[in-house]
Amino acid sequence: MMMPELKKLLDRIIQRVNINLRELGYDAGPFVQGIIPFNQMVKFYAFYGITPHHPLNFQFRHSNLSGSYFLGRCRVTNSLLYKSDIRGDELKKKGDVFRFQNFEIPISEDEQIDIENSFLIKTLVHNYSHDPETLEKFFIQDVISLHYANIHGSPSEGCIFGPFSTVDLTTIHDCVIGAFSYIQAGEISHINIDPGTIWIRNPGKFNFLYRYPKERLANYVYFNTGSPPQGLFIDFVEDRKEAFQRVFDVVNIESTHSVPSSASLDRYAVIKPHTHIGENVLVAQRAYLQNAWLGKGANAQENCYIINSRLEGFNVTAHGGKIIEADLGQKVFVGFNSFLRGRPDCRLTIGKESIIMPHTIIDIREPLTIPPCHLVWGLVTNKQELETNSMPINAFSKIENRFSKGDMIFEGTGADFVSAFQNRINHILEANGAFFNGTENRGHAQKNQNISFNTIQPYPEGELEGLYPTVIIQP
Amino acid sequence: MKHFLVRDLMVPLSEYATVPKGSTLFEAVMALEKAQEEFDLEHTQYQHRAILILDSNQRVIGKLSQLGVLRALLPKNERIQQIEDIGRFGFSGQLINSLREKYRLEAGIMEEVYKKAARMKVEDYMQAPSEGEYVDESTPLDTAIHQLVLGTHLSLLVTREKEIIGILRMSDVFAAVFHAMKDSEIKG
Repeated sequence: MMMPELKKLLDRIIQRVNINLRELGYDAGPFVQGIIPFNQMVKFYAFYGITPHHPLNFQFRHSNLSGSYFLGRCRVTNSLLYKSDIRGDELKKKGDVFRFQNFEIPISEDEQIDIENSFLIKTLVHNYSHDPETLEKFFIQDVISLHYANIHGSPSEGCIFGPFSTVDLTTIHDCVIGAFSYIQAGEISHINIDPGTIWIRNPGKFNFLYRYPKERLANYVYFNTGSPPQGLFIDFVEDRKEAFQRVFDVVNIESTHSVPSSASLDRYAVIKPHTHIGENVLVAQRAYLQNAWLGKGANAQENCYIINSRLEGFNVTAHGGKIIEADLGQKVFVGFNSFLRGRPDCRLTIGKESIIMPHTIIDIREPLTIPPCHLVWGLVTNKQELETNSMPINAFSKIENRFSKGDMIFEGTGADFVSAFQNRINHILEANGAFFNGTENRGHAQKNQNISFNTIQPYPEGELEGLYPTVIIQP
Repeated sequence: MKHFLVRDLMVPLSEYATVPKGSTLFEAVMALEKAQEEFDLEHTQYQHRAILILDSNQRVIGKLSQLGVLRALLPKNERIQQIEDIGRFGFSGQLINSLREKYRLEAGIMEEVYKKAARMKVEDYMQAPSEGEYVDESTPLDTAIHQLVLGTHLSLLVTREKEIIGILRMSDVFAAVFHAMKDSEIKG
């Protein structure tokens, strides 16, 4: 049998996930068996970054790490990680103080991302644990996470995350999260969430829910047993896959692109011609820029695609955001995995300070302008749908009690919801170094400039073929 | 309380509302009305609240409650399922009610809904009796009370060997308990 150790590992992970999901009657096996052929898992090296800014402690045991990237403190045990990014550059440090309700909890040791008995495919892990019960350990255990999912500040146990799903700032136990769902709800357990569910809840303050029409969402992403995820999102990234091969194949790559000294362009990003990178810009690994104009303080996170577009500055394009044929004013926020597609003859224009909520799809065949300071959610393909799925931010702020519009329902205080978003956007800009003035307000754009990358590889053949040897890397 | 047995308080099957399988909800409601009219209200102030469904051998195969009839009025489509599903996302009962109301206004006039419901078949809304809903006629009332309370049943089907001979209604049990309480308080 080919690669028996990898097969044993996969079977063990599926069994552990199924045990956790038994109450929901969910069998992960038919969804993930064979989804990544084992021979793919020996083709790619894993790599880790070393910088003076991030505590160093990598521990990899009995795992396959094919094509995956690691930064910061992380431990991986009995797991399969395929082309995933484990980005620990926002983990808490010893001596930090975590504030939760009326508690001020000191951090007793550097936080660590701890992945165990899990199978992550093209998944991004970032941010830090927001669970006050486990502040030093950001755990991911007994989890299967599928293509382009984001596990963002969300300790997770016994879950399956569908393709293009995001769990954000949520502790999550024994849940099934459908494709393209976005969950930010504090803590959840034992729930099966349908594909295309956008749920943002802060108990006692606000609760936002939007559910995509299933048939229309299936054009963009569709996932069922027996085959990998399908749909326009997958086609879109597959069409650009080749461009990444060169940056991953070459060990020492010389950047031909000039970048201001305050900006950071990751050597594992793809930069196509006619791209402009302004001051304090952050371009993360696996970002794709083509004829993209990024003004001061803009960023492009992992798995972002910015094509034939102009971002005026201080724009946040969160993990997995895609912007095509569009013009964005200053401080426009584009949430996780959003897909914004204009056309050469009908561009998408988004006015300054607008918030495009996580997992929004704007896919137009006629020119469309979103006025400044608007909140946009859901599926928008024309002006009428924009009318249904958007509101001026100041009008949303005035919601008291409850409100519904189209397929969106909201309960709570609109002002709390809006300020939570605005504070977070500001925090992201700060963390990314968008406000760096030459001496103060350093962020990722400045700290991530000089990273050394080392590569590690699995056993090429034999009993342990496909497994990486135990590797412990410490200062 | 006097030592009642189940048979002392049950309503005989012949006095209860019954319809054959295949009847419409309208026919069931008419059977209920007829049974109410014929029922001896001199001995009890409580009316029947359910209709029993019989197969071709006159055996009870299900019970159609008032709740079951009302359930037939609820729309059944993806939209209403979505509204009912909202509860698990932590939204309040008021919000869910406001969405139901909004949906009802959009769905059209209630007369049409009643007409449609009246034509539906009883077997689609009846509940087949569960194991805990049967009680032998010679069971002491105390034991039957346990069965009603723990199973949260509104009535029990009374059996003699394998045959269903009547129905023990919670309202009659309650009346008996109430009178016993009253007697014991008066006697001090």
